[in-house]
Amino acid sequence: MTDSIVELSNVTKRFGDFTAVDGLSFALTRGNILGFLGPNGAGKTTTLRMMLGILPPDQGSIRVLGQSIARVRARIGYLPEERGLYKRMRADAAIAYIGTLKGMRRSEALARARKLLEGFGLEKFARVRIEGLSKGMAQKVQILSAVVHDPEFVILDEPFSGLDPVNQTELEAFIRRLAAEGKTILFSTHTMQHAERLCDRLVILAGGRKLFEGTLDQARALLPRRARLAADADLSFLRTVPGVARVMPAATGQPFWTIDLEEGNDGRALLAAAFERSVPLTHFDVAPPGLHDVFVSLVGPTSEALPA
Amino acid sequence: MRRTFLIARQEFIKYVTRRGFVISILMFPLWIMLVALVPQWTGGGNEPRYHHFTVVDRTGGAYRQAIEAAVDRKYHGAANARLTFGAPPAYIAAAAGAQFPAAVRHALGEASAPVFNAPTLDAVIVVPGDFGVNGKAAAEIWSRETLDGDFHAFIADALTQMLRFKSVQKLAPQLKDPAVLSATALVQARNPDRAANSNSTVDSIIPIALAIILFVVSVMNASVLLQGVVEEKSTRMIEVLLSCATPREITTGKLVGVIAVALTTLIIWGLVLLAMAGIASHDTVALVFTSLRAVATPGLLPLLLVYFLCGLLIYGSLFLAIGSMANSLADAQSLLGPSMLILMLPNLMIAGVMRDPNGTLASTLSWVPIYTPFFMMLRAASNPPAWQLWGTLSLAIATTALMVVWTGRVFARHVLTTERPPSLGALFGGLLGRRA
Repeated sequence: MTDSIVELSNVTKRFGDFTAVDGLSFALTRGNILGFLGPNGAGKTTTLRMMLGILPPDQGSIRVLGQSIARVRARIGYLPEERGLYKRMRADAAIAYIGTLKGMRRSEALARARKLLEGFGLEKFARVRIEGLSKGMAQKVQILSAVVHDPEFVILDEPFSGLDPVNQTELEAFIRRLAAEGKTILFSTHTMQHAERLCDRLVILAGGRKLFEGTLDQARALLPRRARLAADADLSFLRTVPGVARVMPAATGQPFWTIDLEEGNDGRALLAAAFERSVPLTHFDVAPPGLHDVFVSLVGPTSEALPA
Repeated sequence: MRRTFLIARQEFIKYVTRRGFVISILMFPLWIMLVALVPQWTGGGNEPRYHHFTVVDRTGGAYRQAIEAAVDRKYHGAANARLTFGAPPAYIAAAAGAQFPAAVRHALGEASAPVFNAPTLDAVIVVPGDFGVNGKAAAEIWSRETLDGDFHAFIADALTQMLRFKSVQKLAPQLKDPAVLSATALVQARNPDRAANSNSTVDSIIPIALAIILFVVSVMNASVLLQGVVEEKSTRMIEVLLSCATPREITTGKLVGVIAVALTTLIIWGLVLLAMAGIASHDTVALVFTSLRAVATPGLLPLLLVYFLCGLLIYGSLFLAIGSMANSLADAQSLLGPSMLILMLPNLMIAGVMRDPNGTLASTLSWVPIYTPFFMMLRAASNPPAWQLWGTLSLAIATTALMVVWTGRVFARHVLTTERPPSLGALFGGLLGRRA
């Protein structure tokens, strides 16, 4: 028995002459957190809608929880990008309403809604209308309504939007807890730090096509390691050091020279070269490229699609 | 089915807990009350305004006496009589031709109130010398302001009565009292299939009221439905709903919710109006109950309910489809305008249809699919031919089914898009089965 929760196979979606999603394939295994990344208009929302059964694909197939989507609708949780709540509903009723639509009994849904609100420290606001909540509180209520029915697969579209750093940390912990309970989570985001901290796997889209699928380490491996050095001297001599791919002088007002290293090079040769020339360094570090750099290099205006 | 019910329940709660719902529930009976009471406050039903007039009768005086007698008969010399008269000033009676308007101007102007607290002359009635001769029967009312129609009608009635009396008196000289000609005949419409004392006009009260309420409730609730969908689109709530239920379940749930709101409105209005009628007079309550008894038959009541529900569903579907195509309230307003004009059209035809409920106009309009429920409710108590009843009933049900299916399609196709609303051609194509 396969442990794939979601399988997209060569999925294409067109709106008239515009191809929103073009031959997309990927799979997501149980208990994993998948980051779904891409610039605006990449086809993320269209893909999410197809996974929810809101839009049918023009080509290809989608299987969720091993079945067609219509059969498993009640086992999926969904958080849209903006606040999808009735403003005049009370917080507990809003959460319970989605629970009942997903098959729960009303009393059961209401009890669970109150318990979830308590878990987020919102028990005092259970009977407050959504229009009376702050943006962050409403976002939490929205998230709780996506999981009230204890779904196996949760789709979160920009879940951190509207939350302050403290609440973002709280939500990160909540998402990790859901994954630890065995739930499978797919979330789309523009904030790379969240994806770096949370995701087991990443899918990066642009122009409706998949540019990357893999782990965070695999994504980082797409770009060379990068060293940052600071000194009161000219460091351009480092170009001659074996294993150096590129040397970028410090930008005006910035102390750091940036050195791209070739694969397999850990930067110790840079330290040795500086020592040989008696150049005292005030700063030295070598770090793998951030997801932000990978993302920009993949989908930025000068990008070239790298093999996944 | 359960999800449809849950969505319907949510829609019902959403609408009935709005301030606007409570206001509209109160507004309609208030409006009816104003329609009934304002004429009484402003002078009462068919009563003329206060007038002090004089009659210049150039035929010798019989017509002046007839008018004065009619005033006496109406007010019996009461101090608060709305109509009072005086003898014409001599200079008016003497004036003729081009001098007459100047004489009237003088009489209606500075010379009209010579004594403090005396009534002001505001009309001069002129009966020409040849009035009643060789079929001529044109009198004149001279005044500086436009007078009310009730005063005109009163004078015309008095003159007509005397005119007829004079004609009859030539044949029967023994007749002395013109009042014998004032009797009017009352013709009541009866139906051998109904109770012996039933009256077709009274029997039609409830069906006509239902037809009008159908229009008011449809416009009121369906526009709220439209706004609700536009709001759900803008907050992405619609996406959450679509992740829980199919487009068909959502549209059906919304329509069922609207029907529940409409029926609630209908019941509340019915009770409030009945209470108001009870306060007004026991006769009015009796009249309403007579009409209710006529309608509450196994043949008519289910029919009226089916037409009412079909009408609600047709108009609700239309507004729901518009809401799902609109990206903003401004978009919705631009689509709403033409739709409202289409919906309002039957209201302009009510008088024509009710004049002859089984005539060509009424029969023809009953076969226009989106108007069928409205016109058939108007006609239901008038015993239309059975083939029309069954035919239009089938048409109404078929139209309702088609509209609900079409709305589901339009909703599924457009509710998540932000593209421009489709053209009319594309929409009609959708109605015929092509993709809208």
